[in-house]
Amino acid sequence: MSVPDYMQCAEDHQTVLVVVQPVGIVPEDQFFRIYKRIASVSQVSVRDSQRQLYIRYRHHYLPENNEWGDFQTHRKVVGLIAVTTCASAKEWPQTSERFHGQKEVFGSTLYDSRLLVFGLQGEIAEQQRTDVAFYPAFDQCPDVEKRVEDFVESIFIVLESKRLDRATDKSGDKIHLLCVPFEKKDFVGLDTDSRHYKKRCQGRMRKHVGDLCLQAGMLQDALVHYHMAVELLRGVNDFLWLGAALEGLCSASVIFHYPGGTAGKTGARKPKQSQPADAGKRHRPGALSANGISADTSTEIGRAKNCLSPEDIIEKYKDAISYYGKYKNAGVIELEACVKAVRVLAIQKRAMEASEFLQNAVYINLGQLSEEEKIQRYSILSELYDLIGFQRKSAFFKRVAAMQCVAPTIPEPGWRACYKLLLETLPGYSLSLDPKDFSKGTHRGWAAVQMRLLHELVYASRRMGNPALSVRHLSFLLQTMLDFVSDQEKKEVTQSLENYTSKCPGGMEVITLPDGLKLPPVPFTKLPIVRSVKLLDLPASLRPHKVKGLLGQNMSTASPFIYSPIIMHNRGEERCKKIDFQWVQGDVCEVQLMVYNPMPFELRVENMGLLTSGVEFESLPAALSLPAESGLYPVTLVGVPRTSGNITVNGYHTSVFGVNSDCLLEGLTNVKTGGCLVEVVPSLPRLQLTTSLPRSEYVSHEELSSRVSLQLFNGETQQLTITLENIGTEDIQSLELTSKMVNTKDKMYGEFLSWDLAEAGSQLPLKPGQSVAVAVGVRVKLDFSGQESLLQELNDDGISVTGLPISSPLRHVLKPRAEKSGGTEGGKTEYSHIKSLEAVLNFKYSGGPGKVEGYYRELSLGVHVDVEPSVFFTRVSTLPATSTRQCHLLLDVFNSTEHEVTVSAKNNQDLVLHASECQRMAIQVDRIDFESLPQREPDPQRYASAKQLEEERLRAQGCQINSKLGLCWTIISFHRPGEASVEGVLNQLVLEHLQLAPLQWDVAVSGKPCDCDVVAQCRVGEAVELEVRLTNRSQGPVGPFALTAIPCQDYQNGVLNHELQDAVTFIGSNTFHIDAVSAGKAVCAGALLFLCTGDFYLNIRFQDDSSSSGGRELPLSWFCLPSVHIKAGPIAAR
Amino acid sequence: MAVCIAVIAKENYPLYIRSVPTQNELKFHYTVHTSLDVVEEKISAAGKAMADQRELYLGLLYPTEDYKVYGYVTNSKVKFVIVVDSSNTSLRDNEIRSMFRKLHNSFTDVMCNPFYNPGDPVQSKVFEGMVSGMMVQVS
Repeated sequence: MSVPDYMQCAEDHQTVLVVVQPVGIVPEDQFFRIYKRIASVSQVSVRDSQRQLYIRYRHHYLPENNEWGDFQTHRKVVGLIAVTTCASAKEWPQTSERFHGQKEVFGSTLYDSRLLVFGLQGEIAEQQRTDVAFYPAFDQCPDVEKRVEDFVESIFIVLESKRLDRATDKSGDKIHLLCVPFEKKDFVGLDTDSRHYKKRCQGRMRKHVGDLCLQAGMLQDALVHYHMAVELLRGVNDFLWLGAALEGLCSASVIFHYPGGTAGKTGARKPKQSQPADAGKRHRPGALSANGISADTSTEIGRAKNCLSPEDIIEKYKDAISYYGKYKNAGVIELEACVKAVRVLAIQKRAMEASEFLQNAVYINLGQLSEEEKIQRYSILSELYDLIGFQRKSAFFKRVAAMQCVAPTIPEPGWRACYKLLLETLPGYSLSLDPKDFSKGTHRGWAAVQMRLLHELVYASRRMGNPALSVRHLSFLLQTMLDFVSDQEKKEVTQSLENYTSKCPGGMEVITLPDGLKLPPVPFTKLPIVRSVKLLDLPASLRPHKVKGLLGQNMSTASPFIYSPIIMHNRGEERCKKIDFQWVQGDVCEVQLMVYNPMPFELRVENMGLLTSGVEFESLPAALSLPAESGLYPVTLVGVPRTSGNITVNGYHTSVFGVNSDCLLEGLTNVKTGGCLVEVVPSLPRLQLTTSLPRSEYVSHEELSSRVSLQLFNGETQQLTITLENIGTEDIQSLELTSKMVNTKDKMYGEFLSWDLAEAGSQLPLKPGQSVAVAVGVRVKLDFSGQESLLQELNDDGISVTGLPISSPLRHVLKPRAEKSGGTEGGKTEYSHIKSLEAVLNFKYSGGPGKVEGYYRELSLGVHVDVEPSVFFTRVSTLPATSTRQCHLLLDVFNSTEHEVTVSAKNNQDLVLHASECQRMAIQVDRIDFESLPQREPDPQRYASAKQLEEERLRAQGCQINSKLGLCWTIISFHRPGEASVEGVLNQLVLEHLQLAPLQWDVAVSGKPCDCDVVAQCRVGEAVELEVRLTNRSQGPVGPFALTAIPCQDYQNGVLNHELQDAVTFIGSNTFHIDAVSAGKAVCAGALLFLCTGDFYLNIRFQDDSSSSGGRELPLSWFCLPSVHIKAGPIAAR
Repeated sequence: MAVCIAVIAKENYPLYIRSVPTQNELKFHYTVHTSLDVVEEKISAAGKAMADQRELYLGLLYPTEDYKVYGYVTNSKVKFVIVVDSSNTSLRDNEIRSMFRKLHNSFTDVMCNPFYNPGDPVQSKVFEGMVSGMMVQVS
């Protein structure tokens, strides 16, 4: 007996063994279907008795083991059920022959046998036999169970008779010595008459009867017999049989204590219909039933004293096993006893003792075991360890069993079985194949052991021919054990992974094994490791903007309050936070990941893209290659949303070493995100901007889509053509253009940028691919005269820039201006300060579905102009012209360029200025009637203060003067023309001088008009008529005012002598009071008498005479007064 | 003396494991790992009896062909396992106990280090040195 039955348990001692075997050719599946039906009859209640008969079925049993049947009767095959097919009556004799041959195998021990014949059509000539049953087909045998029950009953009858036969053997009779196969030769020639031998025979027989009683369901009788056998056998030191008797005792006690069975298989054993104790009460001991088979009479008698206590059971098992241990040939018995004891201990929950039994079992040497037996042995050890709760031990032995399956000595390694067993070890090594269990923090476990197991799984699955499985396991190994893998191993693992994936790429699908185990996908979240995920805004030119008016409607939902001090802390997932910019449908959007490579070699990540939800999203995958153990490395993933709505970035997918993985952000720890939810607005058109000027990259704080820069001389005008091309897919339906000055430190005259959109607007809507041109005029007019160095110079001049009424034109002309300008030549570089102007042109455009939703886009063009000073006016003054309706404007023109410049004014010849030359030019201008300017209605909202109003008025006046002057310059060498402006240098006085007075004066001396530089001649002693005619040009009447004529003498040295009472006298009053000058004319007439000869001037002064103003002088501009020059000659010769 | 010394956390994962024949480290991993079954069983059995005055020393966990495995559990359920060669019969139970006590003291020192994060693998040099001392062959 060499093959242990590891499935045995203590209660098997009360079963009878029936072998069910196919005879001839029986399809395996059909046989097992019949076998199952037969095996369902495992417990038969014998007719008219309370006793139960338990049957153990085997479809395979070694005759060798059968030889141990005398030692333990449950090992004896007492029944045979043969299953066969027989197609026709002709084959029947042959079949019958085979059946008999089969019976021969177990012939010595069989009590009874049956033959089930399937498939026979027609009748059999032979007469009916009780041991043969015919069925037409495998599925037409409704009474198989019934037949088996009958068969079992017949076995029972034989059993019962044998029991009674042996039990009543008298000790006086010659008792046959029962022995086990290996003992037979030991007893040859032994004295059979010795007392010792007789006792031995008796003891062994007692034990045998005990076995029979147990099988026949008479538990208490069995206990009694076992006790007697133990006593007898101990006396003769028959240790093997003593062990058997003790084990029998244990088995019977176990059956008594644990009616549920110890095999641990629920339902395998039906509980007895009644407890033995109850059974005993109902049937009085010794009562005979009708058919002479009595119930178990012993139940009550010796229960207490014969049955072992649970503790004793273990003690006795230990004894039994130690007795068995004395015999090398009883290894199987010993091993089986160990297994049975462990099962009992498992029920008793005494794991420590059980483990000792198992430890012992491990060392039982059964001689040369076949590989299959080894596997069986290790798996059963594993199972038993599992039974007592030693998960790790169980896993260890299971793994050993798995390794045994593929031992090199096995010609056909069972990789499939190996893999299956390995999978079963996973819980023992606290390893789950779900990577989610490893995502929390650092892995804590028996990394070395777990890695070994994973490697074995990989290898086994590969040898099984399932590369998908090996890929999955290997990815799992790499993902979860990365921290424990050495650099060398990392290389090896990834290399083999690449090898496998070349045959079968790894994916994200759940792999379901045939036994139902699901292997969840393993995303490579550590290859590479992602540290942050950041959604990027669109570039400035593509950003959608919401039309302001519509924005208000969307804001109401959050809170009814405009402001609340309570800040709603969104403690929830930051990832759910909506980001406050938008993406646009159909436009490429970007997400930036910071990744690093933990591997000691270059990591190639292919097909890296985004995983999104909410919106149809076309991810444009990227491939990247990360250097070994790189630091943080930015990666930008792009994609195009195809519909509008809210999009959530859930994660990313990669393909590393041929394994595709979907890494969800929620499963990742240590990942920083600034929110992953973004709104996608409906598609908007796209404009591309090109300019006639080259692009430039000057630095600006504004976010600009493009920029141009140019260099102009002050006053120059440049045309800028902007071409806008629709490069999107939507029509452009609206286009607006605004401009904004960026730095407004310097005072600007006139519009910097001017354009006309009407033409471009007429081409709307602009279809994709079409373009439109917009011309923008760039005009720079800056005031360079205000520079400090120049002011300095002006102050040095010592003369205020005013045109005092009495200042003579000669004086000004005589001023040595040229020298002055020469003196400033040293500082000429200071004039060439370049000023820069910056403005932004904003194109707002919209169209398509985005326009419906109220979005537009902005395209901004920065215009940067470096303005070089051209010519400017250092000084302005006026001189009265000969006519009061005109005056001379004197301009000191300074050429601050390094080129020769011609300056021209209207109706004036060109003035050529060399570099850094200053010259005066005089321009005769008609005085200007400012009142005739279109006076704009003062808008109180536009001009908040009087000051602003005044400024605006000045500006308008300056403009008019400028346009009247039409000052132009040209740089001769470049042919670059430009305008010069006097606006900056004009001041109040000059303006007043330029103004055409509302009252026009005509002074006549001696009847001759004395206007232009005419010197009136008169003689001393003669009365000179002085007539002042006033003409009112203004709308309303002017007055009242007084007019005073004061004579004076100019000594040409800056001294005016007004004390001329001795020289000049008035005839009549020198003051005229005029009430009002209405729209017509008024004339004041007086006379002068010169007493001395000489040059005299008449200074005519006017005073406001109205009572309210109290004699103040009227503003100068009102009176453009000619000064009257009278030369008094000597008295004419009479 | 000892061929393998292991410190195992409350949650039954190794904090420290070192064995002398380094070429077959995995074997000792398996040995120590499976010994945990017995340790757990012993703890649960002893826990029922008296929680307070429990003997920390668990004694021989199980013998294998070549080695004997001894266990010790602290009150905070940190386990120490010492594997000794079976052939070394001179080793008395008392010596094993004193080894465990030394190990326990040294581990307490490790835990007292404010920079040591309980639950992390033990990397203390002092502890390492002490363990090495115990592993040195006396013969």
